[in-house]
Amino acid sequence: MLESLQYLIGGFTVAATAQNLLYCLIGAIVGTLVGILPGLGPIAGIALLIPVTFGLNPTSALIMLSGIYYGAMYGGSTTSILINVPGETASVITCIDGYKMAQQGRAGPALAIAAIGSFVAGTIAIFGLVLIAPPLAAAALAFGPPEFASLMVFGFVVLSNVTGTSLIKALIMAVVGLILGTIGLDPVTGNARFTFDTAYLLGGIEFVAVAIGVFGLGEVLVNAAKPPAQLEQRVLVPRFRDLYPTLQDLRRSIGAILRGAGIGFGVGLVPGPAPVIATYASYAVEKRLSKHPEEFGKGAIEGVAGPESANNSATQSAFIPLFVLGIPFGPVTAILLGALLIHGVTPGPLLIAEHPQLFWAVIASMYIGNFILLLLNLPFVPLFANMLRVPKKVLLPLVMLFCFTGMYSVNNSILDIWMMLGFGALGYVLRGWAYEGAPLLLGLVLGPKLEVAFRQSVMISHGDFGIFVERPVSLALLLATGVFLVFPLFKRAWRSLRPATTTAVT
Amino acid sequence: MTAAISLFLFGAVTAALSLQLPLGTLRAPGSGFFPLVLGLLLMGLAASHAIRLHLARPKPAAVPTTPAAPAAPSSDGATLRVVLFMGAVVFATALLETLGYATVSFLLMLALLRILGVRKWLVSGPIALASAGLSQVVFVHWLRIPLPSGWLGL
Repeated sequence: MLESLQYLIGGFTVAATAQNLLYCLIGAIVGTLVGILPGLGPIAGIALLIPVTFGLNPTSALIMLSGIYYGAMYGGSTTSILINVPGETASVITCIDGYKMAQQGRAGPALAIAAIGSFVAGTIAIFGLVLIAPPLAAAALAFGPPEFASLMVFGFVVLSNVTGTSLIKALIMAVVGLILGTIGLDPVTGNARFTFDTAYLLGGIEFVAVAIGVFGLGEVLVNAAKPPAQLEQRVLVPRFRDLYPTLQDLRRSIGAILRGAGIGFGVGLVPGPAPVIATYASYAVEKRLSKHPEEFGKGAIEGVAGPESANNSATQSAFIPLFVLGIPFGPVTAILLGALLIHGVTPGPLLIAEHPQLFWAVIASMYIGNFILLLLNLPFVPLFANMLRVPKKVLLPLVMLFCFTGMYSVNNSILDIWMMLGFGALGYVLRGWAYEGAPLLLGLVLGPKLEVAFRQSVMISHGDFGIFVERPVSLALLLATGVFLVFPLFKRAWRSLRPATTTAVT
Repeated sequence: MTAAISLFLFGAVTAALSLQLPLGTLRAPGSGFFPLVLGLLLMGLAASHAIRLHLARPKPAAVPTTPAAPAAPSSDGATLRVVLFMGAVVFATALLETLGYATVSFLLMLALLRILGVRKWLVSGPIALASAGLSQVVFVHWLRIPLPSGWLGL
């Protein structure tokens, strides 16, 4: 514990240099804009900014990119509250009571509580990260290839269970991502696979092209398909003096903020789109615990404070599996893993030991970033809200130009733009078919890791697949995977039986 | 159903191509082993999804009382806008090396603005010019990304 605090102080000295503070500020501002502007989520936002970080050292790069991630969580609440349009998926639940508060002329307190809650929860989660990450990393050193393979399978199944509405569709997308991940050089033997004799594919599918294509261009095309009249939106921008919450608002929010922080932290540690799940869980808990449950859906401030705190807390704790196990449990951390690999840093149990400066500086930058975001989001909310006045018919071409240029910048390659366009079209079609892009991206990023872990496992056991069930951690993870696979089937069977039972009784 | 069939075919093609790679043994799986397993898995998942969709399909009435109405064409032009939007980006990509980034970014912005309904030249022209100029400053001069300059040398 004491050692962790010493390292953390060392991290602050690195994070507080003028250069890193600047990158933290840029990340926080860009993240807030990404969260505010519909059509550009944190996945595409981070992917687009990766080329910008090429000239930076890994620590500065990760400080900026993670700033975008948690900045987007702050910014996402602004559109939810002001115009009933979530800037990103984790802010969907904030629309319910946040927009109702805005309609009652209380947009200011809603925005302020969202910012304060995000700050408090983010800070609590970072403390948790400092406490949990080092011992977990030490424990993870005992993990071998079978444990990692089982953990990744567990992650895919849990993500598929909680993403969208259909387990089978999400699993299909994860397998498609895994197949795309096999393109290029075989990570074990070095043989070329599915490259069709082109040098371009030897390095595999460019994950930035998939991220920008499916999430950036796909979203732009969905919006472009809407009639021009739907691309207009009215924005009521609150004045600065209207931002202050009352004492009663603060009193009603404090419990929700603390509970949201706890829920978010726990959810962030398990696979899935943690910030989204955390908001729903927090909202449900607040509604159940509230003395005024009838106010929920009509402008209850707890309905804003809890979910907004939970999504920020989950965002921070989602870094634990990424840093400690080297396995991202969600699409945004998958993008961050890709960025780390580009910068020559391999996250995993040895990251804290081998790159302590990077790890602790990024943690320290999160404290600083949260503070910057609080400062940005309280007085500058009217300014950010004015950004919403930019009509979508102007914004969408700008986002497209940014995707186009950003994609070229990754490798200075026009082939990458073609790849992005292909995946953009695929992303648009997949949305039409109600297939989620997140499992595909996770499959693509984790595919090579899963293959290496799987093949190493069977090589260690001389072809005995029993190795996956003979080791306790691996067995526990596979059993948990089985539960997550079977549970939806039981649920469906139960639902189909219930009407029959009712009929029989009546 | 189209999606499930397409994904089934994708899995089948993956499995077939994997068979051309060394499969190795269970003790030492080769390059084709993992993609073969994934291809077969995808085929299985897509097939079971297709069967579920087929079983869940509402049964048609035995004797149709009225002839089925033909599918109404999209009145709001959504498909046309998406095709034009993608077409503009495809053209821009194809012309990037020839015309250079400065020209292409201006033309792309102009085309996309007009496709999305910014009809007045006096509005779309300056916005396209400003955004192309700004992206030139940020990407070419500030970030020093060697974007193609084309025959105009811009």
